[in-house]
Amino acid sequence: MRCHNCGHDNIPGVDLCESCGSDLAGLDLPEAQAGFRGRMMTGQIGDLPLISPLSVTLETSAADAIGLMRKARHGCVLVQKDSTLVGIFTERDVLTRVVRPGIDPASLAMSEIMTSPPITLAPSDPPAFAVHLSAARGLRHLPVVDNAEVLGFISVRHLLRHIHEDVLGGD
Amino acid sequence: MSRPIEEILKKVRVRELELQSDHRIDPATPLGDVYRAFDEQHHGAVMVCEDDQVVGIFTQRDVLYRTALEDLDPSTPVSEVMSDRPVTIGLDQELADAIQAMVEGGYRHVPVVDGNGNPIGLLSSRLILRFIADHYPEAVLNLPPRLHQILSRPEGG
Repeated sequence: MRCHNCGHDNIPGVDLCESCGSDLAGLDLPEAQAGFRGRMMTGQIGDLPLISPLSVTLETSAADAIGLMRKARHGCVLVQKDSTLVGIFTERDVLTRVVRPGIDPASLAMSEIMTSPPITLAPSDPPAFAVHLSAARGLRHLPVVDNAEVLGFISVRHLLRHIHEDVLGGD
Repeated sequence: MSRPIEEILKKVRVRELELQSDHRIDPATPLGDVYRAFDEQHHGAVMVCEDDQVVGIFTQRDVLYRTALEDLDPSTPVSEVMSDRPVTIGLDQELADAIQAMVEGGYRHVPVVDGNGNPIGLLSSRLILRFIADHYPEAVLNLPPRLHQILSRPEGG
């Protein structure tokens, strides 16, 4: 059994790591994975219905990006260069980097005001990981990326709806 | 084994969450002050109150939709751009009911009021997700954030 602390490969069944002394007890017991909690920990982000993102380039102006976000009712756009994800521009960036400094949105390009690199999820990550990132870091929009390919994004609103449907049987 | 989350969400009352009680402003508050609160205090929304009643709500999403391209003077009172008479949640409602109201209305923030309709604080989807995250084993949640990186060529290549 591999130690979670130092990586030492212990013989199965020992309670303490022979290399660093970490407590290994309980690690080999299967977690109860029933119900919603189990689905959130063993499920995959890639199995949720992801939202198709709006894509812009490094040269796109803040004014154009905001126009796209308004039209699609999205809180973010993804910035791509040669079909690679290089940044994200969200409603928070609109507030902190455009509106609050009082800069003309037509004069700002994504390259100046996007958040780069963005924090992303892999399709194999458990949904619980998205919940954690949103809760702990206040991230409202998380792109889901498989190698170089952007599969979509997941939003806080979307997560709450998923929880509502899964846990509470909402429709 | 701990109780299932299904059961917890149906038992817990809204009052048991740490509601954001400082996210409260009056209708004459200039937009510039609201932007500062959003930016510096990381408020996602403010509830607009008058005579101890909720008269409106204004959110970061509203900045995107209603003020970002409009060239409004920062002295504009928030009452001119807020959403009037928002849906509210009672302090003693079940968390599950609050989630339902938020999902159905598409809201990330709802003002919470007491039995007299007086504002107590804001309930946010982030608070709800944090509450749910607190009910997972820590090991799963302490994964490091993944910064998006593209390998320029295959490993070892």
